Amino acid sequence: MDPPPNPPSASRPAPSSSSTAPSPPVTSSPLPPTIPSSSTSTTPLRPPSPRLTLATRTHTQPPFLIATRKLPILKAGPIEALQTRLHLPAIPEMIFGDNLVCIAHPRTGWSVSFSAEGALDTVDKTGTGEMLQVAYAREWSRSREGQQVGVEVVRRYDWSYSAVYKGDEVRAAAAGGGGGADAVAGVDRDGKGEQPGMGKGLVVDETGKTEIPIELLKRRDPILFADEVVLYESELDDNGISAVTVKLRVMQERMLLLCRLFMRLDGVLVRVRDTRVYVEFGTEEVIREYTAREDKFENVKRKLLMSGLTPDGVTVALRDSNEVAPLLPVVERTVESLCLADKS
Amino acid sequence: MSDIDRAIEQLRACRPIPEHEVRELCHKARELLVEEGNVVTVNAPVTICGDIHGQFHDLMELFRVGGDVPDTNYLFMGDFVDRGFYSLETFLLLLCLKVRYPDRMTLIRGNHESRQITTVYGFYDECLRKYGSANVWRYCCDVFDYLALGAIVLGASNTMPSTTASPLSRDDVEVEVHSSDGRIISRFLRHQDSSENQGRINGGPNGIPSDSSDDTPTTTAATTTSTAPTLTGPPGSGATGSSSGSLGDPAGAVLCVHGGLSPLIDKVDKIRLIDRKQEVPHEGAMCDLLWSDPDEIDGWGLSPRGAGFLFGADIVKQFNRKNNLSLIARAHQLVMEGFKEMFDASIVTVWSAPNYCYRCGNVAAMLELQEDAGGLGVLARSNGDVNRSDGGLAGGAASWGAAGQNDALLPTKRTGPGRIYHVFQAAPQDSRGMPAKKPVADYFL
Repeated sequence: MDPPPNPPSASRPAPSSSSTAPSPPVTSSPLPPTIPSSSTSTTPLRPPSPRLTLATRTHTQPPFLIATRKLPILKAGPIEALQTRLHLPAIPEMIFGDNLVCIAHPRTGWSVSFSAEGALDTVDKTGTGEMLQVAYAREWSRSREGQQVGVEVVRRYDWSYSAVYKGDEVRAAAAGGGGGADAVAGVDRDGKGEQPGMGKGLVVDETGKTEIPIELLKRRDPILFADEVVLYESELDDNGISAVTVKLRVMQERMLLLCRLFMRLDGVLVRVRDTRVYVEFGTEEVIREYTAREDKFENVKRKLLMSGLTPDGVTVALRDSNEVAPLLPVVERTVESLCLADKS
Repeated sequence: MSDIDRAIEQLRACRPIPEHEVRELCHKARELLVEEGNVVTVNAPVTICGDIHGQFHDLMELFRVGGDVPDTNYLFMGDFVDRGFYSLETFLLLLCLKVRYPDRMTLIRGNHESRQITTVYGFYDECLRKYGSANVWRYCCDVFDYLALGAIVLGASNTMPSTTASPLSRDDVEVEVHSSDGRIISRFLRHQDSSENQGRINGGPNGIPSDSSDDTPTTTAATTTSTAPTLTGPPGSGATGSSSGSLGDPAGAVLCVHGGLSPLIDKVDKIRLIDRKQEVPHEGAMCDLLWSDPDEIDGWGLSPRGAGFLFGADIVKQFNRKNNLSLIARAHQLVMEGFKEMFDASIVTVWSAPNYCYRCGNVAAMLELQEDAGGLGVLARSNGDVNRSDGGLAGGAASWGAAGQNDALLPTKRTGPGRIYHVFQAAPQDSRGMPAKKPVADYFL
């Protein structure tokens, strides 16, 4: 049961009267100024457009506010601007640069948001790390030995777009109340959570005791708000897939968000990197868990075959991160937590 | 009504034809295709289309906008299958039309017309699902092996037809962008030497100024960046005869190929020497033609993926000059605006799958090249004239900055044929015969 999209807030420019888009009804639920527009925040040439506002769905589950936005892939101009901002030699061909998922706590100004720009910002931009190669790279280059062209690899970067993305956090305002709106009008990705004097933010749990309560999430509580938002997707030049997708579901007492990178390089490697954000509305607790899994392609394939799938079934299963993820060994895991309730 | 006409009718309704008819059709198609060279010669007028990817209903929309077969002469640059839900109906319909109207329909091979790729990206599964066996997939793959690798379009006009009312002299118009209802969205004049305009005309990735913050595809800016044209004579003058690339003949042809160029191919004639009747190999010129991409680099580059070539503006310009080409049309890469001209309009990417994968929200385009009314070819006016006037251009490029294409740094005269880009959107949902899928409650963990 999806609620109707909420209207733009009064503080944003309303759609011009000549706009043919139907004006949504005004309700009391404000769109928080905490919703950053990734493609507009740093580009003076592109002022915040009603288009972005109109495409934003919000849901309030006090004291939290959840927003999602889905729009078409970027055009050539914004793509170039984004590429320049990110210092990436290339970006995925399906780049949903205007898409956004945001969980905000308006009273303190805390928020965590997920955008294509934020995700791509975590990709290795210089190729200093391990450079993946397609399965037939050796065959390909061997067949070209002795050719006249002294061809060199151009544009070294992680072309598999394997983001390590936990979302962009804006810490709570230091004072603990009030000024959320102005303080977080734009997400400062580089300085996230590090400005001195800033308030509470997610902290790594050293005790190892904090866990997302899976049992509570297995209950079939009615879903009040749900969405699935693609941030980017690349077909890796038909060598597999790399995609970052954010799913979320909001129930009466809690919510879960899953931001997943699924990277399958055919014949080489499979990666699943999950960031889960769990919110307990009553206690105002936030838990963020990051789990990275990966394995060689052949191992995954073997496991799928051993599970009784036909070879055709294996091909189909390899397209589905839900089928593949449980088969991959965990290579990294961190849990962070935060309580936004007023203690005093 | 003949069998083939009945099959066309059935496929137009998006209903697959029986397996034995597919076998028959594929057999006929192979007989026809085996007679074609690796590089098919096509005479203008022709409408050039890029990737379709099994989006059958959008192909119907393409025909609605571009005109039906055989009224319109079509050239499809491959990637008919995979990704979309109707690869089978899409490919079989195109193949039927090819068999029925061989001279009005040209199909060239894309990298997805391959056994290996179709097993990964959907066509194989679709055949299995719709027929219960892989036989139809095998028949189709056998046809793939016979598809041509490229096409040469001859006799394209470098003027726009004078039928459309216009305040401008149609002779000066080089590019027009039309909406799906035939309105002119924007229009670009032939090469201008004016520096302040140069950046702009090159800067719009598609010739469309890229500054718009409203993102409707129907921007109504008729961009007229006009100063004195530097063309040396009226279009159509300099009677050059029509077609073949004889020495000094400036009648620039248009090369169509799915991916791009290959370092092994410096002359179009070398494409003709390839033994194409095989699975797309991982190596050699045939692989490159179907896989390579233009990029903002100098010369040739190797993709960081470890396979696949990238080629820069200098490569394209040399190749075009050497082969008397005015333009290379290629597909292979998704572009939001449906088409993207690069390198002083020496190469264009055409993309014909709107709302790609049913979720990208992009528009699609096809490129119409008109027939030269006087029976004369395009005049490539500036052969040998390259780099003559670069002074002003550098300034234009600088002022354009990062938002523009770097191709302004490599000035050559714009000599392309008159190009009409028909931009169209995805077919309306209700034409698809299936309800829009609403996501069900997903208790993911």
